[in-house]
Amino acid sequence: MLTINLFNGLVYGALLIVMCSGLALIYGLRRVVNFAHGSLYMLGAYLGYSIAMRSNFWVALVAVPAIMALLGVLLDRYGFRLLQDRDPLSVVLVTFGLLLIIEDFVQTVWGKSNLSVPAPAALSTSIDLFGTPVPAYRLAVIAVGAGVALGLTLWLRYSKVGLFVRAASTDPTTTAMQGVNTDALSAGVVGLGTALAGLAGVVSAPFLSLSPSMSSDVIIDSFVVVVVGGLGSLSGAFIAAMGLGMVQALGAVYLPNAAVLLPFMLMVGILIWKPSGFAGSRT
Amino acid sequence: MTIPKLFLSAVVALAVGAAVAAFGGSGKVLSLLTQAVIYAVFAIGVGLLLRQNGMVSFGHALFFGTSGYAIGIILQMQLMPAEAAIILTLIAMGLIAFLMGLVMVRVPGVAFGMLTLAVGQMAFLTASRSRGVTGGADGMNVDWPSTLFGAPVSELVKPHTMFMVCWATLVVVMLVLALLLRSRFGSITEAVRDNEERARFIGIRTLAPRAAVYALSAMVVGLAGVLSALNTGFVSPENLHWSLSGVSLMMVVVGGYKVLWGPALGAVVYFLAKDILGDYANHWMAIFGVALITVIVFSPTGIAGALQRLVHGKKAAPAARASHGH
Repeated sequence: MLTINLFNGLVYGALLIVMCSGLALIYGLRRVVNFAHGSLYMLGAYLGYSIAMRSNFWVALVAVPAIMALLGVLLDRYGFRLLQDRDPLSVVLVTFGLLLIIEDFVQTVWGKSNLSVPAPAALSTSIDLFGTPVPAYRLAVIAVGAGVALGLTLWLRYSKVGLFVRAASTDPTTTAMQGVNTDALSAGVVGLGTALAGLAGVVSAPFLSLSPSMSSDVIIDSFVVVVVGGLGSLSGAFIAAMGLGMVQALGAVYLPNAAVLLPFMLMVGILIWKPSGFAGSRT
Repeated sequence: MTIPKLFLSAVVALAVGAAVAAFGGSGKVLSLLTQAVIYAVFAIGVGLLLRQNGMVSFGHALFFGTSGYAIGIILQMQLMPAEAAIILTLIAMGLIAFLMGLVMVRVPGVAFGMLTLAVGQMAFLTASRSRGVTGGADGMNVDWPSTLFGAPVSELVKPHTMFMVCWATLVVVMLVLALLLRSRFGSITEAVRDNEERARFIGIRTLAPRAAVYALSAMVVGLAGVLSALNTGFVSPENLHWSLSGVSLMMVVVGGYKVLWGPALGAVVYFLAKDILGDYANHWMAIFGVALITVIVFSPTGIAGALQRLVHGKKAAPAARASHGH
């Protein structure tokens, strides 16, 4: 019982890692908290559904992030770049408007009923983990989360583009003066962040059902994660995402009545202690 | 505006309201307007926080729903008369919001908005799950007594009296806020909003005024919640849902938060637009999403700002731009 709960906590934590790394990347470069991130995740999940129904899951896994990346680049070019001199709150409200548009679009195209995507055949077995059988697909989700966390960390730390991203996150003006094309960089990073939202959507489809409320459930948890971890801090978000997954899993076992409230209590507690999040130093 | 002028406008506004209630046509039109006025009070509360504190709350439905629930529960348990319940709820709302504000306003910028969203969602989930007390997702009826402040409730809930009650509340709230913001309290909160560090340098304690603005805005929104509970006789978790907070924020931005009456205008425009859209109302989310983005991009001061530019000519435009962007 405990093993399976901890395992499910890891699965949800992994999904949140994929979501929140996108949010944190976009915040780092554009100082935009993307309220539409959850809707982009939902759009990714529904697109994945349509593609998986017509061909198969693996095509969706590749195609959806690609489509979403393109959408992200457009969003940056015709949205965030034009609004970069505005105060951050009006940009937040623009993303809120975008959220409404995407939600409406999804409900119009795919309807309001719950949809589900079967797990791909290769992963629809179960694997024995410390004496408890667990679905192989969920194990793969954990691997995706770990892969994204590791890949992003290595990319940011050791590649030249990663260096530019870190520099531009700290001081975009100085970075641009040193000859880095920060506009192209931002477009790439917002594209990557949006692609990650799409990836999270496709990956979640076989184990969470698709419904119009899926975006608000995940975006609120993602906000808890990025605020607790410190806005714009990737490592903070990774730790907070895993922490939230665990807190929900253990809460469901030991405090079933308060389980849904635990993440929020955790958030309030941490923010009282450190208003900018445990890994955050910027305001 | 001088103080006599303020009172004069309030009297004129009340007279206009009375005229609308008397000749405003069918009950359907009036009940639509009543709803718009209740949400106008709501939006003024949210706008107050943005205007005086520069903070965007994505969770003010918390206070809208909680006040309705508080009164509903008090009346159900018959703890005290309804009049006392209303007053106690509003005072408690202010005190609790002040304490919450002391913690929450320290969280910088956009993170504050996300925190309000999380706290609001916490209340939503609690209300949806506590079946025994709140009726869970089905909501609960508010059992109003037969008389309220000496007036028979059966008379109060008639469309024209209901409209007049809500309209008068709106006018009084705006008058009180306008007077309050002219006072030292208004100047202090504006100084803190514009530059917290400088305000501290000249010896202003900055935390308490910001928490006080938060509490004040919570009380205004709570009052809207009471009106809504009186109007519909019903509270449900929908009253606490974040989408309601989002809608109220949309009213604030579309109406224009730089002036006190902007959010109220936004609320009226929202309800009229929703009514006119009629058949297209299924797509209201997309339509309002586009409207929100359009207003922010082309007229950051909202409809109120655009109207002011029209009235005052081009002279007001640079001033509006200069005051933008704190």
